[in-house]
Amino acid sequence: MGQKTITQLKSIIWFDGLPDDMLAVLAQKAHKRKLSKGEILFNKGDRGDSLFVILSGWVKIVTQDINNNEVILNKVGTGEIIGEMALLDHEPRSAGVVALEKTSALELNREDFMEIMKGQPDLALSLIRNLSSRLRHNTSYIEKITEMSRRVAKGDYSFIGETQPVKTSEKKGREQEKIGQLMAEFTAMVQDVRQREEELKKQVQKLTLQIDEKKRKRAFEDITNSDFYAQLKDQAKNLREQRMDNK
Amino acid sequence: MGQIVSIHSFRGGTGKSNVIANLAAQIALADKRVGVVDSDIQSPGIHVLFGLDETNTGNTLNDFLHGHCTIREVAYSIGDSTGQRAQLAGKHLWLFPSSIRGREISQILREGFDINLLNTGLQTLMKEFDLDYLFIDTHPGLNEETLLSIAISDLLIVILRPDNQDFQGTAVTVDVARSLDVPNLQLMVNKAVPGYDYDDLKEQIEGAYRAPLTGILPLNFELAKNASKDLFSLSAPGHPWSQELRKVTEAILSVQ
Repeated sequence: MGQKTITQLKSIIWFDGLPDDMLAVLAQKAHKRKLSKGEILFNKGDRGDSLFVILSGWVKIVTQDINNNEVILNKVGTGEIIGEMALLDHEPRSAGVVALEKTSALELNREDFMEIMKGQPDLALSLIRNLSSRLRHNTSYIEKITEMSRRVAKGDYSFIGETQPVKTSEKKGREQEKIGQLMAEFTAMVQDVRQREEELKKQVQKLTLQIDEKKRKRAFEDITNSDFYAQLKDQAKNLREQRMDNK
Repeated sequence: MGQIVSIHSFRGGTGKSNVIANLAAQIALADKRVGVVDSDIQSPGIHVLFGLDETNTGNTLNDFLHGHCTIREVAYSIGDSTGQRAQLAGKHLWLFPSSIRGREISQILREGFDINLLNTGLQTLMKEFDLDYLFIDTHPGLNEETLLSIAISDLLIVILRPDNQDFQGTAVTVDVARSLDVPNLQLMVNKAVPGYDYDDLKEQIEGAYRAPLTGILPLNFELAKNASKDLFSLSAPGHPWSQELRKVTEAILSVQ
């Protein structure tokens, strides 16, 4: 594996900004894996002790539903990394990976990966920096969506016009793409909700206030044509005048 | 001198007691001195909202009207009570309850009472408690004590539900209030069911009755579930019902 592999590694966001000599160490430790169409790279539940960089081709990330039918979670292609989380958190594989076509990948096992990291603190730092910038980026969108949800709940859609498109870095990671997709879906949903709400508003019925004036007059006369009422009217007048004087 | 605010609805079931108790609480929270008189002698109900029952009710309006005690002795200070109403601790809010004992209710209905004595009592407690606002919870319809409450009030608030029977009855109440020279008249809608154009209805109501509609309170199932156990606008201040109620409160406070 030579210069070609190094160039391929450079295009991966995890290794963004790493010097060539460091990438050369990585390339040297990695094993090349060739998969034919339909071949399984690993199964859900397997021990996750290596990560893979897809150099060419396409794979699908799969799991099973309760009836053991295959459910495709995602499709992943050239330049992307799979299995990186298991490498760090030691959990079993959360999903399986199957080649969709002839695929070539670089495999880097945990031991080698960790050894390189020990010997290359700059690489470790670069990875941490990459991870935290991805995290920060994602968090900012979570905050944005939280704020939008709050406003939608209050019926405030004023942000729709001011929503900015997701900033995309030149080397877009899988998550950034997903976050971008979430933002787009969310904004589309809010627009749909607003539209439905406006339709509903148009549908609200008008109530017509009806008063039977004859009945109104009769009821008024029944109440006011009495000695009690005449007395009360006088009394109320006096009382009001008294109270006005006190004020 | 404070203001006498009578709250009336032409028919029962408008949620009047709940509205009054919450309005009184909101105005007491604004550091006003507030009294609430349950003049609905036939079917008293507001006491429950302030945590009173047969075991802790002392003198009542009935005792006063029978000459058994002074009006001052009827007062029950809400600011001293506990529980959900603790938010009102230290506030100046008094309830003047009617008797909830069946025997005393039937007695006063049978024998009647001196309407002038009720009037004197109300005027006295305005002075003695130095009230900014005295709310009178009236019996639905337009009987003598209700007419008296309307006649002596500085502000009459009519609560109506958005239906034709209430539109008709409210028209009569409004006519009577104008005939009695009530200086201020306000309207509010309670139990507004969703699906209607209330902006349009507000316009119609204000046009027909020539009085401001100060709040449209939605039909509130949570309030119904609460079964009058506490003051909803204190326990759920963010609920649309409480928000609209505060608009009515503002309108009351803005009357000069």
